[in-house]
Amino acid sequence: MSQRPSVLWRTIATPLILTVLLLVIAALSYQFGSRAFNRTVVEMFINIMVVVGLYVFIGNSGLLSFGHISFMCLGAYMTAWLTIPPMMKSITLKGLPAWLLQTKLSMWIATPLSGLFVAIIALIVGRIIMRLSGIAASIATFGLLGVVNNVYSNWDSVTGGQGSIVGIPPTMTVWNGWLGAAVAIAIAYLYAISRSGLALRATRDEAVAANASGIDIVRERLIAFVVSAFIIGLAGALYAHFLSIVNPGAFYLRTTFVTLSMLVVGGMYSLSGAVVGVVAISVLIELFRNLEKGVSIDGVTLGLPNGFQEVAIGVITIVILIYLPSGLMRNRELTWPSWRRRQAVPRPAQPALEESN
Amino acid sequence: MASVELALSAQDVSVQFDGLKALSNVSLAVPRGRITGLIGPNGAGKTTLINVLTGFQQASSGIVELEGPTINGVAAHKLRRMGVARTFQSGRLFRELTVVDNLEVTGVGLGHNRHHAIGEAERVMEWLGIAHLGGTIAGALPYTDERRVAIGRAIMCTPRYLLLDEPAAGMSEHESHELATIIRRIANELNIGVLLIEHNIGLVLELCERVFVLDSGEIIEVGPPQQIRDSDAVRHAYMGTQRDEPMPALAVDGAAA
Repeated sequence: MSQRPSVLWRTIATPLILTVLLLVIAALSYQFGSRAFNRTVVEMFINIMVVVGLYVFIGNSGLLSFGHISFMCLGAYMTAWLTIPPMMKSITLKGLPAWLLQTKLSMWIATPLSGLFVAIIALIVGRIIMRLSGIAASIATFGLLGVVNNVYSNWDSVTGGQGSIVGIPPTMTVWNGWLGAAVAIAIAYLYAISRSGLALRATRDEAVAANASGIDIVRERLIAFVVSAFIIGLAGALYAHFLSIVNPGAFYLRTTFVTLSMLVVGGMYSLSGAVVGVVAISVLIELFRNLEKGVSIDGVTLGLPNGFQEVAIGVITIVILIYLPSGLMRNRELTWPSWRRRQAVPRPAQPALEESN
Repeated sequence: MASVELALSAQDVSVQFDGLKALSNVSLAVPRGRITGLIGPNGAGKTTLINVLTGFQQASSGIVELEGPTINGVAAHKLRRMGVARTFQSGRLFRELTVVDNLEVTGVGLGHNRHHAIGEAERVMEWLGIAHLGGTIAGALPYTDERRVAIGRAIMCTPRYLLLDEPAAGMSEHESHELATIIRRIANELNIGVLLIEHNIGLVLELCERVFVLDSGEIIEVGPPQQIRDSDAVRHAYMGTQRDEPMPALAVDGAAA
């Protein structure tokens, strides 16, 4: 009955292009990059997972969340508990239940389990937070960040408190970093074209009319919240393997700020924007990091003061908000050059901050 | 009165906003397959009443019934799934989506899969004669088409009741005649109970079997169009308001399409 090609067929180009572009980056880095550069690329892939996870919730619902980095924290610690050798755990994390103390899983099993754990937590927390409207929900997510940070900073016998837990197997390479990013993109894409994704974007544009169209806003928001938490939980798990240590400070304000900047810079209403934003900001961070180290000219080292990086990223985010409010991708998706069909995946909309209901 | 036939009804409904009484003891019934009118000056409480009937506003007291069962406190999206649809004064289309997606997303909201929802969207657009608009972004539609799309969205999956909040506002005479035809077909062909809220009183008197007149939150008159036309109370309620032509008694009679 319908002459339109199916949604999947019209939009599949976007995740394919993004995944292939990242694969090219991974291959180039593997072939030509130094060890340090490879680590930067892995970190970028993990950030892509986080920001794509943020996009699933923020981009589709139009609600800002300041709390998603707590899901990264939950995922990272769960992976630490599951993968650190029992010998080490029994010394540093005495408070863990016996069965967990004896567990020793590989990254391939621990990572999805950590994602699931985070998704379940998000389901419980989200049932409360998603009832709130607009700005109240955003503030509540900020509260979640604070609560999780405090618990993990102080529950010494289980999390090691302020200190770091060491001993997570350092198994990350550019290849499984790329795989993680590809999985995140695939999940985000499938969610965006799902019934729930479509319905949620309608609530973003017109919450009242969405209600009058039979859409249960709380339910659709909750689904997006859980899916995004799952993706960010996976990212947290891989991040733990990447650093091989975890401490609660790594999953707090700075990371929240940087990842949100990445999303805003790329354009928060498109999947391509999420990915492009991370790549762009990662390049800038790397650039400023080198400049902070300094350039040596005729024996004189010229360097930027430490911390300049954060300032610069902040300024760039503000400039983008002023001149390109819809981000580098203008809320559009990457697609085949000749394929001029309009897309069913995310479209431009008013900024999330204007959401009121 | 309307107890024997199927109807969406309000009984003694009152709504209070911080001491301000928006509706007081309003009773009204919208029978299946008929067109009922609701008129009244600005600020009379018409939209509040629609909001109560569609779950967007809780009644402070009184009962709202859908063909028997009480529906007080049922959420708006659930009422839509139970077959109570509405449009909005301001259109409220999903402006970033195409027309067909506007309808499709409603089908999805009502629990259908996307394929089925698109099929239903295309059927409804065909039925309304707006199939040619399918690919247009809703935000770019001219005013009149916006209204028709809003109606299309509301009749997705054929609800039992349709509450139209000033669908003819800003329409030319010709356009409101076309609208009248559509509203008649909705009631007759789809057996939907229509509640028509309008400032265009000519249109209401032309279309409706029964008309309720609301003023300052109270029903001041109920009856067939002829009775409303002759009512002193109605004439009085409209005096001094900004309505240009309070009772265009004759202009409408030839308009039956």
